[in-house]
Amino acid sequence: MGRLLRKRPALGMALLSGVSTAVGIVIVLAIDWFPVQASTASPQIDTLWDVLMIASVPVFVLVMAVALYSVFAFRAEPGDLSDGEPIHGNTRLEVIWVTIPFIMVSALAVYGWIVLDDIEAKQTDPLIVNVTGQQFAWRFDYPDEGKVKSTELVLPEDRDVEFRVNTDDVLHDFWVPEFRLKTDAVPGLTTKIRLKPSRIGEYDVVCAELCGLGHATMRSAVRVVTPEDFDAWIAKEQQSETDGGAAAAGGDEAAAGKQLFTETGCNACHTLADAESASAIGPGLDELSADAEKYGEQNDQSPEEYVKTSITEPDAFLVPDFNAGIMPADYAEQLSPEELDTLVKYLLSVSGEEKP
Amino acid sequence: MTLGAKLRGPGWYRAALSQPISLAFSVGLVAAVRALYGYDPVLDGNAITTVALITMPIGFIVGIGCFDYWFRWASGAPTVPEDHSGHGAKTWRDYFKVNTDHKVIGIQYIVTTFIFFILGGLMAMVIRAELAQPGTQFVDPNTYNGLFSVHASLMIFLFIIPVFAGIANYVIPLMIGAPDMAFPRLNALSFWMLPTAGVMMVASFFADGGAFATGWTAYAPISTETPIGQQFFTIGVQFAGASSIATALNFLVTIITMRAPGMTFWRMPLLVWANFTTSLLVVIATPFIAGSQFFVLLDRSLGTHFFDPAAGGDVLMYQHVFWFYSHPAVYIMMLPGFGIVSEIVSTHARKPVFGYRMMAFSLVAIVILGFTVWAHHMFVSGMFDWMRVPMMITTMLIAVPTGIKIFSWLATLWKGVIHLTTPMLFALGFITMFTLGGISGIILAVIPVVIHVSDTYFIVAHIHYVLFGGSVFTIFAGLYHWFPKMTGRMYDEKLGKLHFWLSFVFFNLTFGPMHFVGVDGMPRRVADYADQFATWNAVISVSSFIFGLSFLVFLYNMITSWRQGPRAVANPWRAHSIEWQVSSPPPIFNFDEIPTVVGGPYEYGVPGAVHAVFGDKKAPVKPAPAGGGGAPPPTTE
Amino acid sequence: MESGAAALGGVPTEHEHHHEHHGPPEANQSSRVEAQFLGMLLFIISEVMLFGAFFTAYFFVRVVGDASWPAEGDHLPVAIAGVNTAILISSSFTMHWALEGARNENRAALRVGLLTTALLGLTFLIIQINEYVHIGFAPADHAQGTIFYGLTGLHGAHVFVGLTLLTFATIRAFRGHFTAKEHRGVEVPGIYWHFVDVMWIVVYATIYIL
Ligand code: HEA
Ligand code: HEA
Ligand code: HEC
Ligand code: CUA
Ligand SMILES: [Cu+2]
Repeated sequence: MGRLLRKRPALGMALLSGVSTAVGIVIVLAIDWFPVQASTASPQIDTLWDVLMIASVPVFVLVMAVALYSVFAFRAEPGDLSDGEPIHGNTRLEVIWVTIPFIMVSALAVYGWIVLDDIEAKQTDPLIVNVTGQQFAWRFDYPDEGKVKSTELVLPEDRDVEFRVNTDDVLHDFWVPEFRLKTDAVPGLTTKIRLKPSRIGEYDVVCAELCGLGHATMRSAVRVVTPEDFDAWIAKEQQSETDGGAAAAGGDEAAAGKQLFTETGCNACHTLADAESASAIGPGLDELSADAEKYGEQNDQSPEEYVKTSITEPDAFLVPDFNAGIMPADYAEQLSPEELDTLVKYLLSVSGEEKP
Repeated sequence: MTLGAKLRGPGWYRAALSQPISLAFSVGLVAAVRALYGYDPVLDGNAITTVALITMPIGFIVGIGCFDYWFRWASGAPTVPEDHSGHGAKTWRDYFKVNTDHKVIGIQYIVTTFIFFILGGLMAMVIRAELAQPGTQFVDPNTYNGLFSVHASLMIFLFIIPVFAGIANYVIPLMIGAPDMAFPRLNALSFWMLPTAGVMMVASFFADGGAFATGWTAYAPISTETPIGQQFFTIGVQFAGASSIATALNFLVTIITMRAPGMTFWRMPLLVWANFTTSLLVVIATPFIAGSQFFVLLDRSLGTHFFDPAAGGDVLMYQHVFWFYSHPAVYIMMLPGFGIVSEIVSTHARKPVFGYRMMAFSLVAIVILGFTVWAHHMFVSGMFDWMRVPMMITTMLIAVPTGIKIFSWLATLWKGVIHLTTPMLFALGFITMFTLGGISGIILAVIPVVIHVSDTYFIVAHIHYVLFGGSVFTIFAGLYHWFPKMTGRMYDEKLGKLHFWLSFVFFNLTFGPMHFVGVDGMPRRVADYADQFATWNAVISVSSFIFGLSFLVFLYNMITSWRQGPRAVANPWRAHSIEWQVSSPPPIFNFDEIPTVVGGPYEYGVPGAVHAVFGDKKAPVKPAPAGGGGAPPPTTE
Repeated sequence: MESGAAALGGVPTEHEHHHEHHGPPEANQSSRVEAQFLGMLLFIISEVMLFGAFFTAYFFVRVVGDASWPAEGDHLPVAIAGVNTAILISSSFTMHWALEGARNENRAALRVGLLTTALLGLTFLIIQINEYVHIGFAPADHAQGTIFYGLTGLHGAHVFVGLTLLTFATIRAFRGHFTAKEHRGVEVPGIYWHFVDVMWIVVYATIYIL
């Protein structure tokens, strides 16, 4: 090889680059780049990726090869004050290196376009899921399945799904890495994602657009289940939806309060042992009854009034060490007065000494 | 001088005095306006801060003395006759004054921007410390978001963009045979606006509610809702942007109207071409970021509805306006580097730049294409569907002119006589690392792929490959290359090489693995992440610390060599371009007599080729004995 | 410190410079375009782009957002603004007159021209402010209001800057500055003033008439 390089540099280089390219391609294809494939879009995107890798390796190898070869072959001896050959250009070469990249990127762009069209193709009779982002939690509802609401995303395997993504406040981004698809949740718009889950399992919805303090922890669970399990789940959710209302009316306030706490997304920011949430963006609520007593007194409020205003007008009184403008200020509109009362009672009952 | 005189005359005393005055003015103005409109309370901290953020920097700039001449001129008072007292630096103190000499301003720029680089870099170290393990260790999420936002803003607006302006400031008038820039006082003003922007961004950490925490992109509507720290970005960017526009305008006018006789456009060194095209980008694109931040400012402080969909506003409009500047901005951060590399590759490989005209044309092509691709940052933003494929195609086409540059540099190396000096090493490092970053850019342009990797660490990897492996490597290369010219001393070659190898290796270990975690599903801008990414992140963090330390080698080399390095000869690299034909450092007015250009700038190996000749009365350079070991320049008579 | 200071100070090294040198060599003039003129032109290009950003906002509200223009129940005083437009346009002519005055050493024309231009500009601003007071909606009412005030306000700020430049030029004219050869201090504010006028015509046409 060394001799070949010295005698016929161009041929030697071509050989060397060929070998390195082959090795490089094997390496990039051997790397396990992606998470598992859980939607029908995943294999298409992964294949596109492999093609891009295969196209990129020779480009990079060529650049490296010429640079390294030049450094070794044309390196100046110490004290060498001579100049190189005064070559000013070579039209043929220049035409080649304009044309080949042009063809390469055009071909890749066309291929990318085809894949894009494929993964966004119209579906027949998809399951519609409304996705709503809110600092810092996701909510899902299934408008065609009896308006089921959930904080967990459950999807049937092998059925087309269309997500309609919205936000209550700032930008978020709905992303399930295993599905490969994401879209921003934009105030004032409904963005869409279409896909077909293809693998049973549990994954995470990841928020991929900076949305504030809790951006890193804005996660929800996705479960892809068999169609039968999905139907069962929907039935159960419909039942508990009515139960929840019945419980609130009938007296199981604790269960209703807990459900409200999670479904409204309070758990995105507050630690509360009873509701199994452990987020630390807002103050922990496990000691709330004591706090409410203390802060309520400062504000001439009963503990109940204090908690209620804390929820409806979060900035009216600030817990020390916390900033204004973090807790959403629109719960008065989101929650009905009854729901609010349930929530307040629940919070005061599960915190402090008189824990049930 | 009495204290009174000091307070009246331009300088730091008056600048210091201006600060309480500006603050008092802001308080008064806010109180007056709020009282007039019946707001309660009359004194509002946020409103005062906002006004003070505008008046205090202006007070500083006026106080330090950038406007003295113009005030006299405009009021019709007799102007101080041009005695060149504000020209050239005699002691180090002169670097702390308003000075109109492009060489002094160049050094002021470079030193100032490196201070901000160090600050931004140290913030990156805190980021990496936090990310070394999953969970929260050192900083809370709010501080973390502030850290990467300020990190990126300093790096982009206070380091890369202005440091290129600094290098060009020093070199371009010399290269084109001009005694100074076209508007020396505007040049000084551009410089002095810069530190105010940087100080503002750093100071945001002390604001109520913490530093601005919405990324360097400051997307609405979150940037219209976060605490007052955001205002420090919104307003700081205006000062940095104004500075950048003023310099660009200055470069354009200088290059168009002040070239030496015989210096046609086709005889300009490629660095001049690069800055010419960059300046066009700056002048045309920068007003858009000013606009985007005006909108945010108005929405924040006057309650307007640019970004409020409920009132008819449009959230995505922010991104269109922002990226219409910020995509061209990435070429603002790269084209000057292309110019530097062209100089270095040709000089240190002793060959003419291959395909000189295509090199210039490709710069122009990148500028034009650069305006047609902004929405590739918005492929997952929910913008108009129809815009995506055209933007994908134009984006990918940028590989063609960029490829011309890469391949032409390689062809310049081919059959050269390659001196592996530190600048050359960094240039070579640049060529390979930028190719990698460019290829990941092409991958990012392919929509189905970017739908998955957008907003992940794959983007972070791309950013640093093009910005560190790209721009910063060219900055290092350029600083080593022109160090002898700027300081009159030679840097230490051994330390320079050590710096290169340490940074090259640990750069790749730091940012290479980010590609893997990104594709595997780790989003960017998170202080905490899933356990599956822990191993790679630990590797990244450890490498990044060593990478950070490698910068100390550079710093040590620069400082000690500047103070006591061996004296440099005028032309240690035996280069042809004009800046090397004058002494190191150059005489106060650059030339006794404007040179005449008679040939191309890179005619290495062409027997008897000369780029510029000086009047025959006196040779511009007396070859000096000590220094970098080059031979006497070939072009003097 | 001393040696560092010497290096930092860029003390001429081997090439001892002539101490009695008085100034820089005359730069070569490599283009027929004058530096000041070119500088102003480039500045105006970047100003146009700033307006471009605001027009983008306008485009998004009115075209992409398909909002009614002006907002339901609001009226724009097209006629009064039209008169105001005429005032501003006529100030371009007086500006030109002043410049011709400077070119021909006609001091009276120069002074009166500059003064009338400034007064016309001031009138424009006052009418504009009066319009704000009586228009019946505020920038914070709705996006249409935001854009309306945004564009007209941005333009108003430019009129203000132009007026400041004109004031300086007027002061200098009355102090006897400017000659037939040396009148850049009139010419450059003049270019800016013409730009402000032309920009107004565009603003007026898009937000009042279209
Ligand atoms: C110096 C700065 C710089 C430069 C030069 C570039 C150059 C390029 N960038 Fe990059 N980019 C950034 C800085 C830069 N970028 C930053 C900071 C961001 C993130 C912003 C943020 O969100 O915070 C970003 C983000 C970014 C995105 C958005 C990703 C996302 O957020 O979803 C995209 C998508 O298209 C992209 C593409 C490109 C392309 C195609 C190039 C091209 O110009 C590259 C061209 C170069 C080459 C291709 C290599 C050399 C060519 C050859 C050897 C020829 C042969 C090659 C082929 C045939 C492929 N970049
Ligand atoms: C020119 C631009 C530039 C430069 C040079 C750098 C340099 C570095 N960057 Fe930065 N970075 C960006 C531009 C840049 N970055 C941008 C645009 C973003 C996106 C932000 C956003 O999302 O909005 C980003 C984001 C970003 C992130 C992602 C944050 C997140 O998304 O959560 C990370 C994480 O690792 C990172 C790391 C680093 C590191 C380790 C360096 C290192 O190279 C720094 C090395 C320098 C030093 C360390 C300082 C000098 C050294 C000394 C003074 C010696 C002392 C050293 C020690 C004590 C160790 N950067
Ligand atoms: C985006 C984060 C966030 C969400 C979501 C959120 N909060 Fe809060 N909450 C905070 C922060 C931060 C504070 C402290 C600042 C303050 O007092 O306003 C707070 C304070 C409180 C307090 C006062 C605590 C004390 O110790 O005095 C109560 C009670 C409370 N929240 C209840 C709720 C309920 C109920 C919900 C859901 C309906 C909710 N929060 C949703 C962030 C949040
Ligand atoms: Cu929601 Cu990030
Ligand atoms: Cu871009």
